[in-house]
Amino acid sequence: MTERQTWLRRLAPAVLVVVLAVALSVASGSSAEFANPAASTGDLAGVLDGVRDGDVVLVGFDPDIGTYAEVRPTVRALLADVLDRGARLAIVSLTPEGRALAIMERARLVRAGVEADRLIDLGFIPGAESALVALARQLERPTTGGAVVVLAPAIATEGVELGVVVGGNDLGPRTWVEQLLPRVDALRLVAVAPSVLLPELQPYLASGQLDALLATPRDGAAYRAGLGAPASALAPDEGPSALAILVGMLVAIAVLGAAVGVRLADTLRLARTRETP
Amino acid sequence: MSGFFGSGPADQLATWIAAIATIAVLGGMLGERRVFAWSQHLLAGLATGFLGLLAVSEVIVPRLLEPLAAGPGGRPELLLGVGLVAAAAAAPWLPRVVAAVPLSIAIGALAAFALGGAVVGTLLPQAAAALARPAPTAGATLAGIGGAAITAFVLVGFVHGTPRGRVMAAAASTGRWLMLAGLGGWLGYLLFSRLVLLVDRIAFLVGEWLGLAP
Repeated sequence: MTERQTWLRRLAPAVLVVVLAVALSVASGSSAEFANPAASTGDLAGVLDGVRDGDVVLVGFDPDIGTYAEVRPTVRALLADVLDRGARLAIVSLTPEGRALAIMERARLVRAGVEADRLIDLGFIPGAESALVALARQLERPTTGGAVVVLAPAIATEGVELGVVVGGNDLGPRTWVEQLLPRVDALRLVAVAPSVLLPELQPYLASGQLDALLATPRDGAAYRAGLGAPASALAPDEGPSALAILVGMLVAIAVLGAAVGVRLADTLRLARTRETP
Repeated sequence: MSGFFGSGPADQLATWIAAIATIAVLGGMLGERRVFAWSQHLLAGLATGFLGLLAVSEVIVPRLLEPLAAGPGGRPELLLGVGLVAAAAAAPWLPRVVAAVPLSIAIGALAAFALGGAVVGTLLPQAAAALARPAPTAGATLAGIGGAAITAFVLVGFVHGTPRGRVMAAAASTGRWLMLAGLGGWLGYLLFSRLVLLVDRIAFLVGEWLGLAP
């Protein structure tokens, strides 16, 4: 590789960053353009309409730092929506990464003015799948002195109305469906997950094991677009710029296409060389 | 807006540190490996520190020491757990049969929960949902048949060794290609997720740090 090619190879990502920055500066910064009212997200509105003032909503918070940027606006809008309906959130994490992000989001909500007693912190439960089994047992037979999981008194006495699972990590919506649903009767589950988990989670939505699923920026944007103004104070995140993502995807497709094209051209060149006597 | 930081002096400082770390990571793309490596070490150090803090403050103290201090006799399972942890820690000096016990219990329990959950929570409900449709449309039926066929081909693709017979070999080859197509689709989703992350980081630099975005 020549020195010029080396420099070009190094500069290409910088050019991409600059192009994306320009796209961000030009665009409005909203991802509402993604919104599609026909998005198949399940019965999200119906499930949320069932949440009443004072209900406890169990939030399984285990996103992945690498993909959290994609779901963050939707997660914040959903939490704000649930809080706006007067519910209390009981936040639990099964992974250290999820716990770190849960602490951050809880602190943000407290800073935004949500009363701390409406944000019940169940903390981090170690044990992966077995932690969910312990949580399920506690939800079924609530006591305040469990061996593994110590539920807050509010949950122990009143029960949980709805489960919201923020996925992305190893222990996400699939694990909740597999470990919690067979053990806890009549618990409705809503999941928010990054696009990469869509193929894994869509069958659960189709079978009705998940009541609702927001697993793409498009679905998230559609949900956020349908929300009213009250939730905006708790969810200031507008989401990624549609123009910047479109530009990035076009660049990615061009790079992949160029790689395939070069390979094809090499194959043709080799074939011609063989044919030439 | 990421909403991570407020407007106080500490938040301003945090914004600057986050911006510098973001630039250091992006600099890795341009070939600046030393600063990039430093940022990786910083992340590893922070993650290790956080894990230690989490282990002490949310696991060892509240779930082990406090219950034991309250009444050691009432919690024999915790004492058993401590014994297993001690055996795992002392594994290099213990006979192999004893050292294998804690690891075997951990792997066995994990596999049992995961496998049991997969059967009870995924396999059976999904099979029931696929078989018992209240009013199947032609498209849904075709999709179901297609899904079943793809599953069968991919399973045949995993047949150990070379499949015997031309039909089986063709089915196995089809299964492998279908699996590759699936992996390609999954990589497409992954690319999209990572692109959103890149856009988010650039938005942080342009908007929250430089204040240039509208």
